[in-house]
Amino acid sequence: MKNNKTAQGILLNTIVIVVLFALFQALTAAFGGAGSFKLVLVPSLWQCCYLILLAASLNLVLGFLGQLSLGHCGFMAIGAYTAALLSLACERAGVFTDKSGAVYILIIFACILAAGLLAAVTGLLVGIPALRLKGDYLAIITLGFGMIIVNVINNLPFCGQDGLAQGSAAASLYKTGLGFGSKAKVTYLWIALLVTVLCVTLMFMFVRSKYGRAIRAIRDDEIAASASGINVSSYKVLTFTYSAFFAGVAGALYACATSSLSTASFAFTNAGILNSTFVVVMVVLGGMGSLTGSIVAAVIMFFVNYQIANGSWVAALPPFLNGVFKYPMLVYAVVLIVVIIFRPRGIFGTYEFSLINLAGDIRRARVRRAEAKAERKEAKAHA
Amino acid sequence: MKKTKLLSLLLALCMVLSLAACGGSSSGSSAPAESSGDAAPAASGDTLKIGVISPNTGNLAAYGTGIHTGAELAVEEINAAGGILGQQVELVELDDRADPTECLNAFNNLVSQGIGLIIGSATSGATSAITGPANEEEVVIIAPTATADSITTEDDYIFRVCYADSAQGAIAAAYAKTAGYDKVGIVYCAGDVYSSGLKDSFSAACAEQGIEVVATESSAALTTTEYTNQFTAMVNAGLDFVYAPYYYDVIGPYVIPQARAAGYDGVIMGADGYDTTPDYVREADAPAFNNIYWTNHYFAGDTSEKVTSFVAAYKDKFGSEPSAFGATGYDSVYVYKAAIEAAGSTDPAAVRDALADTSTVYECVSGTFSFDESGTPVKGAPVITFKDNGDGTIGMELVDVVEASDLA
Repeated sequence: MKNNKTAQGILLNTIVIVVLFALFQALTAAFGGAGSFKLVLVPSLWQCCYLILLAASLNLVLGFLGQLSLGHCGFMAIGAYTAALLSLACERAGVFTDKSGAVYILIIFACILAAGLLAAVTGLLVGIPALRLKGDYLAIITLGFGMIIVNVINNLPFCGQDGLAQGSAAASLYKTGLGFGSKAKVTYLWIALLVTVLCVTLMFMFVRSKYGRAIRAIRDDEIAASASGINVSSYKVLTFTYSAFFAGVAGALYACATSSLSTASFAFTNAGILNSTFVVVMVVLGGMGSLTGSIVAAVIMFFVNYQIANGSWVAALPPFLNGVFKYPMLVYAVVLIVVIIFRPRGIFGTYEFSLINLAGDIRRARVRRAEAKAERKEAKAHA
Repeated sequence: MKKTKLLSLLLALCMVLSLAACGGSSSGSSAPAESSGDAAPAASGDTLKIGVISPNTGNLAAYGTGIHTGAELAVEEINAAGGILGQQVELVELDDRADPTECLNAFNNLVSQGIGLIIGSATSGATSAITGPANEEEVVIIAPTATADSITTEDDYIFRVCYADSAQGAIAAAYAKTAGYDKVGIVYCAGDVYSSGLKDSFSAACAEQGIEVVATESSAALTTTEYTNQFTAMVNAGLDFVYAPYYYDVIGPYVIPQARAAGYDGVIMGADGYDTTPDYVREADAPAFNNIYWTNHYFAGDTSEKVTSFVAAYKDKFGSEPSAFGATGYDSVYVYKAAIEAAGSTDPAAVRDALADTSTVYECVSGTFSFDESGTPVKGAPVITFKDNGDGTIGMELVDVVEASDLA
């Protein structure tokens, strides 16, 4: 019975994804990849894809393992630079000459995989010593890691600021590497979507496997988990490495979407929403311990950020309200405060959205709410 | 329980709104922006839209404020004089927070609105993200202050009204030579395109001029707030001239005070990033601001008629002295005006062809120049010094004007 339901769920999800994708391809064909579709919607989807991967992968460490990591963008930086350099190297070696065809697509996937692997190796190296520490100390180590990696990249002559951020190098990444222009972003959108769906699936499989149960046991009570025969430190390092892999993949997608790499984009804080602090915010906002929550939160944060900067309705607001939007950071703070006040455990808490369970979940939630209401009424009557 | 929640939420909202109100009234930039919008007559069918992308919030907000206020002033003047080719000009301003991704989003947004002429952005890092797409979409970009050498070299549609870093580094080296220094040191930020680019061009120019670079120290990121060690190394190397290309937000509060505290009394030379520094200096630190020289796009105290009338108009409209960013933002609009009138059309491709004509001379606030092959102006630069006024404020004085012809 149980297995049957899992199979049904997988089937349903696959069907929904395929239908959505077919619908999207039809839309692409209909609008010819021009105007707002090409220039606004598709780049937004690219950005959502890497933000989703980033938030969901951090959730493995923060929500499921219960360890605070503040250097997640460091892994993303490794991924982004690995993918960018590898694609440039391939072009220079003559593996592909024009940015199309099967070889090019193969190279892109190779770059994405290499980005993930190198980030995972770094995660392993950092994780082995760092995860022997707990709580605040681990946070400090990972924070330090994020800053160190940015400095290391800056000072490497072939990939630092001199290497990939300046006009000509960025242009070469754009022209000959895996940096996608507006048209290419539409053509290769399927890569971003496919990679994101695959990675999120892999994360779900991890969370629902015996490893997932083990790390949740570690989160809830480390001593009890250890006493039950779980090798705490190896599970911690495993999760950290696994999470770093997906952050690296997110970095590769970032390199595709933004053909100019500068390490400021991977810093601990910056003026945008892509930094280690904001990834933590996304995870907390979505719910620590809910991958679907992270996905929703990443999309919401992207949407809020995009609308503040580019929404035409902002200019139409009365000047008094318009003033608030002159300080984007303030708006994020309000969003976070509102969510924390009304949903202290994040938007989703530990609830996972699932198509096949949706009807049952809604029914149960309604029953729960009715019960809570009845209880309150009764308590009032007694008072 | 429910009530306390609501109360705390309302309090949080009140706090935000009051903060916003304070910000709105003190910044003084939002109100003029509204009025310039009103000044342009309606009939949107006949208006020429020019996009402006600048960092209006975040660490480098002062740059963005300068650029878009300068552009607004130019547009107001042009509209009052009848517009460009009889069309009224309207600016569409977007904020990129000096971030490549945000810059690209803003660019895409402008292009999707059908805008083909764009001014932006302030920093080289953010501008790099839109040069490739601009070429692909055949949209003209005039960068007011993106100084990295290669911004304009790779793409046909990219121009700028500022000089490139290599010219600025060469100007600093030429100044060091004329001032008689043959041993110099460099303190720069390895984590920033602008700073490391200037360091490269300065050391290359020093080698040409026969000046020895004795010591080079770096900081990690633009947000670094500790520079004592770097300047202690300069003192130990026995240097009297240090090139320190940073932005105003660290120069004012950290670099200069810490350099003087570390016992370094020699010359500190910088570049256009030093602009607006006096607004970021604590009163107690003012005595440290002597013997500091920097190159800039223009000097507000210049006595030429072009500059004095610009400064007077800007002060009249915005109540403060225009920074170099104001000047380059203002110039960008006028370069567009000249190019559109030369092309006789507002079509981006035609405007591009007009801009690509290297024989056209543009008379601007930030100097009279023509574009080279790549789209970068050929021009010299003023060397400016800070001086302590003795009352906790900092003044500026023009020291020298290095002409483009002096560099060869």
